[in-house]
Amino acid sequence: MTVTLEPAIHGDRVSLLRVLGPAHVWALGVGIVLVGEFTGWNFAADKGGALAALIVCWVVGLLYTSVAMIDSEVTSTVAAAGGQYAQAKHIVGPLMAFNVALFLVFAYTMLEVSDAILLGDTIVAKAGVEGLTHNSFIAATIVVLAWLNYRGVLMTLNVNFVITAIAYISIVILFFSVSPWTQGAVLKLNELVTPGNALPYGWIGVIAAFQFGIWYYLGIEGTTQAAEEVRSPARSLPYGTMAGMITLLIAAAMTWYVCASMMPWEYLGITYYPLWDAGKLTGSPLLENLLFVATLLAALASANGCINDAARAWFSLGRDRYLPTWFSAVHPKYRTPYRSILFLLPIALAFAFIADLNQAITFSILSGVLQYTFMSINIVMFRKKWPLGSIRRGYTHPFHPIPAVVLFCLCVVTFFAIFLGFGSQLIAMVAFYFLISLWFHFYRYRFVRRGDQFTMPWPKPQGY
Amino acid sequence: MWTVLSYACWGISIVLALWMLYDWFKVDTTFSEEVLTSSREGELEAVSEKHRI
Amino acid sequence: MPRYTPPEQSKAGQVFDIAVVVVAIFVALWLPLKLGLAGAAKSIDALDAKTWEALGQNPTMASIWEKLGYTPETAHDIIQNRFHYVIDWPTLIIMAAVLIGYFVFLFRASDREYRDVINEKFDDK
Repeated sequence: MTVTLEPAIHGDRVSLLRVLGPAHVWALGVGIVLVGEFTGWNFAADKGGALAALIVCWVVGLLYTSVAMIDSEVTSTVAAAGGQYAQAKHIVGPLMAFNVALFLVFAYTMLEVSDAILLGDTIVAKAGVEGLTHNSFIAATIVVLAWLNYRGVLMTLNVNFVITAIAYISIVILFFSVSPWTQGAVLKLNELVTPGNALPYGWIGVIAAFQFGIWYYLGIEGTTQAAEEVRSPARSLPYGTMAGMITLLIAAAMTWYVCASMMPWEYLGITYYPLWDAGKLTGSPLLENLLFVATLLAALASANGCINDAARAWFSLGRDRYLPTWFSAVHPKYRTPYRSILFLLPIALAFAFIADLNQAITFSILSGVLQYTFMSINIVMFRKKWPLGSIRRGYTHPFHPIPAVVLFCLCVVTFFAIFLGFGSQLIAMVAFYFLISLWFHFYRYRFVRRGDQFTMPWPKPQGY
Repeated sequence: MWTVLSYACWGISIVLALWMLYDWFKVDTTFSEEVLTSSREGELEAVSEKHRI
Repeated sequence: MPRYTPPEQSKAGQVFDIAVVVVAIFVALWLPLKLGLAGAAKSIDALDAKTWEALGQNPTMASIWEKLGYTPETAHDIIQNRFHYVIDWPTLIIMAAVLIGYFVFLFRASDREYRDVINEKFDDK
């Protein structure tokens, strides 16, 4: 299928373009997340040891499987740009929706910032040239990807698909080239992870590791942002999201196995490039360079997806007048939310220059966990207001309410984990959301048209 | 070589940023605000239905 | 129920609102950095004997450290830089209260707004 990009105005409307398929949804979800295998997850080892990193890999995997199941059901039904924002608006209420959109914009923008810093630092580390700083590489990453996003969603996600696939394949290649079936040749798991050092801090370390365990998968829920641009959201979104989740679980397991078998946990916990280091330690220049390139590609794919998602969340806020309508403009030729993309660009750049990687990651994780807490309550309300059978759902997730309860409990544990490391920062963030909520509820909401916010062709919710 | 690459990165960033600003200005002056902000949630479904032949 | 007609917002008002949001974002993200609130409590438990054995590294680990370009002296600050998990109850209680208060406010205020939306959407036909 070819898509022509002539100014296409249906009647008097300019809308986003419906051009994406399930592979793009996969590329958007996995593309954002995969960078977590190249950096970030390993800080869990710092917090609790190598075994703790494996435990959280699986337990947080369970959290995200719940997220993916819940998300697939709600989003295959509420298919609108803004994803969880549109869900919150239809199910919980406007103020919640406003907050959810901010969670999204924060989580993705800070993730984009982390990606850009990682990319810059990786190049600087590789170059080893005196006086070379990461700033130019950060600027180029953010600006080039914003430009790509500006020019159209199809190209953006085609690029994402290719670079994500290369990065993923490189993990698989690394895994098979260290002969994973024999221990002792390259991999020395039982000498590196011993009963004495597997959990150096005991179980409290495992809990603390949850914070960075989130990083194995953070962002998979971003697939829903594409809802207005996929050809058949009810089918593609659940399919792409679930396929993405399976891909990531496999990648996370392989990454842990290789890295924990090649590096002592103390080093693993502080390095910024666990997979690249693993490539170096194999002694093969080919693998080393492959993993270097893959680290860059994963960071690019992630930042690319984040720009896409953050801009759509911001765009939806403008469209409902939660923020000035100016942001809800769609480019008549490229059909992208171009003003939102441009507005978020300098913000991302500014933070990339002033923050460091750890801090940016923490901001992102915090906003993510606040959002998952919302999702667990949201699905329960969704099933209550519109029980099964009352509206047409694209996908119905099994075992309700077990995933919701599991998700909620794991969110509580993660909040406790954040408290163990970043308690004051969490309080500062929540204080910010609280104040901006007051601003919205008592001032900004007066500019919003009440009934117009509810756009789904559904019956009246039960209990209202 | 890396230093050259670094300067190239600055160059690309500036060129693309300027292009986006130029395009933004051009679009905002060519089209009316009503047309640009005419996207509505949920109506996309209706639009694509209408265009199916 | 009468339909609610929002006031038109002036251009200046729109610009002002954008400025408020941007400033709030920067304050929220930048202030914790500035105040040094970000970052976990890690400190170095210094050891006198700087050998791989004293640092608890077996020969395999030691060989990997060396491959990565470390000596016991340079690795000491990495290996002995440990977390000290202490549960500070007052902070924990404040954090829990802030979080719960925030979510309760969110859901209650949202519900009030949501009822207006539903009334206008479904009663007004």
